[in-house]
Amino acid sequence: MSEDDDIRSLLVDTAQRIFRDHCSQRTVEAAKRDGWSPELWEIVQQAQLPLVSIPEEKCGAGGSVSDLAAVLRVAGRHSAPLPLAETGLLAAWMLAASGLNVPPGPLAAAFQRTEGELRLEPVADSWRLSGELKRVPWASIASRLVVLVRGGDCDRVATVDPGRCTIARGVNLAWEPRDDVRFERIALRADEVVHAGRGVTIEAFYRRGALARALLMAGALDRALERSIEHARTRVQFGRAIGRFQAIQQEIARFGAEVAAAAAAALSAAGEVERGDGELAVACAKIRVGEAAATGSAIAHQIHAAIGVTEEFALHHSTLRLQAWRSEYGSETYWGERLGQRILDAGAERLWPLLTDSA
Amino acid sequence: MLFDDVDFSALTLPAEAQALRREVRTFLAAELASGRIVPHLGHAQFDREFSRRVGARGWIGMTWPRQFGGAERSYLERFVVTEEMLAVSAPCAAHWFGDRQTGPSLLRHGSEAQKRRFLPAIARGESPFALGMSEPGNGSDLASVRTRAVKVDGGWRVSGQKVWTSWAHLAEHFFCLCRTSPEEGDRHLGLSQLIVDLHATGVTVRPIRFMSGAHHFNEVFLDEVFVPDDMVLGEVGAGWRQVTSELALERSGPERFMTTFPLLIELVRRLGGTADRRARQVVGQLTARFHALRRMSLAIAFEFTRGASQRTMRDLGTEASLVKDLGTFYERDITEAARLLVDIEPRPDAEDTFERYLAECIYTTPVGTIRGGTTQVLRTIIARKLLGAAGSA
Ligand SMILES: Cc1cc2nc3c(=O)[nH]c(=O)nc-3n(C[C@H](O)[C@H](O)[C@H](O)COP(=O)(O)OP(=O)(O)OC[C@H]3O[C@@H](n4cnc5c(N)ncnc54)[C@H](O)[C@@H]3O)c2cc1C
Repeated sequence: MSEDDDIRSLLVDTAQRIFRDHCSQRTVEAAKRDGWSPELWEIVQQAQLPLVSIPEEKCGAGGSVSDLAAVLRVAGRHSAPLPLAETGLLAAWMLAASGLNVPPGPLAAAFQRTEGELRLEPVADSWRLSGELKRVPWASIASRLVVLVRGGDCDRVATVDPGRCTIARGVNLAWEPRDDVRFERIALRADEVVHAGRGVTIEAFYRRGALARALLMAGALDRALERSIEHARTRVQFGRAIGRFQAIQQEIARFGAEVAAAAAAALSAAGEVERGDGELAVACAKIRVGEAAATGSAIAHQIHAAIGVTEEFALHHSTLRLQAWRSEYGSETYWGERLGQRILDAGAERLWPLLTDSA
Repeated sequence: MLFDDVDFSALTLPAEAQALRREVRTFLAAELASGRIVPHLGHAQFDREFSRRVGARGWIGMTWPRQFGGAERSYLERFVVTEEMLAVSAPCAAHWFGDRQTGPSLLRHGSEAQKRRFLPAIARGESPFALGMSEPGNGSDLASVRTRAVKVDGGWRVSGQKVWTSWAHLAEHFFCLCRTSPEEGDRHLGLSQLIVDLHATGVTVRPIRFMSGAHHFNEVFLDEVFVPDDMVLGEVGAGWRQVTSELALERSGPERFMTTFPLLIELVRRLGGTADRRARQVVGQLTARFHALRRMSLAIAFEFTRGASQRTMRDLGTEASLVKDLGTFYERDITEAARLLVDIEPRPDAEDTFERYLAECIYTTPVGTIRGGTTQVLRTIIARKLLGAAGSA
């Protein structure tokens, strides 16, 4: 094993231990109401998990995107109610790449989708930000909001105190915060707005967002499968464990294949993002993991039957997140069209090289 | 082997059924326009006042004899009323169990006194029933019920626990399947159906929250609940036969494939004049699948109408199970198509009708293939019947 592998497994062990000990079903349940778990954040921050992949000289924890990816999968497995992906993979990445230090605390990240959505105007030696962003993940609980704003000459990264914005709370299907944020002529200091650094583009932001959801989904699928296996072993009907029925065995087998494909697609995409733009790998990952999420959550619920659809039973923490995350940062439809278009534009002769040149 | 002797080419609804359809549509349009009902998808909603208004129209227990509050109308007319209600997801939960399950059971197995007492009230929409079959240890394996009734003077003392009892917190009575004699030898013997007053001493109803936070099903605890002799449904000890003689009609009705249909309507509204080829193709396929499902379901209703007048009924049990199996997956595929064709982030707090329906359908996606017999159990039954037929041919 190389030294990198050692660090990775240490990180994964730490994450496993923290979430096992501190992210109970009660924690996840309470977050439906509170939006997140501040107590869990403290522990995770102490262990420096949110800023893995961010260079130490920028106040990060060091390590690679693949290291962070392994942590995100564990977080997804435990339905951790935290902006872990937004903090490290999106907000801190933009800040560090643009030459800024990363502040402590949970971060939210957003980008300007349409031309008229935001306006960033220079005023003397400072800036003024106006406009509205819809469905920003975790905005209502973040200590800083990092926004990628389009500009005529170049894109800029702005960090905003959410306390100065007007936030209308919203949620996704699993009651994670997805908030509408209004900026009403907010004054920003010169050091709060910088040129977007190398590689910080809207395209790259969206890809990283999709990668994050794919990784979290891979983790949630792991958990849904574990629970289903456990249930198939212990639930008795007609005098035997339901896992003894071939109909259930076939479903478990199908489920296993989906979970394996999801992990392969999501984790390999993390490596590709690290080594290049990862466009192809991320598109494939978001599509493939999305399909696995649809098939996997259906099988998990079928195996559990009635007990699985209750609030009391933890399965829904995984399956509702799968349903919500499928649609975030591009559904299978979005990425399917984008990837399909790219393949068609490149033409028949390019298809095989495209699939084989990077890995 | 399937639908033998059914003449699909002759499936047209009689004029009186289509006239009734117009009446029901007008009624529902007025209910919706006035805001008296606001449809939700996934679980039929419980609304006593709405059920009363439907009852006043004569649309509950329509096929029952007049002496018991029915209208002696045909199964086809009932079919039309049901599908019109489903097309707008009208809140029928307060009368549907009675109309579809407990009413027909009472007609078949009930005493004169029970029929006179309950049927007219159900038909007026004033006597909501719940169904108490499932228990913590008995889901698919219905015969393993543990709730037991012990004979006492003038009646029975019932103790045990039921789960997943839909609307028990709002219903008046429930049909409680329980063991009336000890299990020895054939475990299908010794079960009975009792009609239990949900407000009787010893009955405790506790909510079980659905994963969306909604409350529609419950646990029902029975602690030495007294049930008088005249509240035994049918014969003591014949509970199993009575429960499993559920008519094919009850398994193959439009409620088995139309619970997400209003989402398809909203999807079409959303897509409007889209130029997206894939959208048009998917909408076309979903329409085609509906068309075939409805024809199969209608064929079964026609057979009932014919059988009821000639008193010879073909057994279409396998066909009914097939309709349910196809139907529950069809419902799910509408939801899946909607979310893939209209690329939005579904949210439970949506105000737009399409978006709200989509979220409601996603939350309830798992239940169609679970309640009323799981896919696995249903397919086992279908396969057994088909293989049996092939083997003997
Ligand atoms: C929304 C909802 C409303 C309901 N309302 C009511 C109600 O009002 N009254 C009531 O009595 N019940 C109600 N139920 C309960 C419902 O009837 C049961 O959920 C159903 O019978 C399945 O039982 P179970 O949930 O215990 O699953 P289980 O029987 O434990 O099944 C678990 C898994 O094992 C599989 N399985 C079981 N046996 C076999 C086998 N022999 N071969 C292959 N696979 C098998 C099943 O298909 C399933 O995938 C409701 C359920 C839901 C979801």
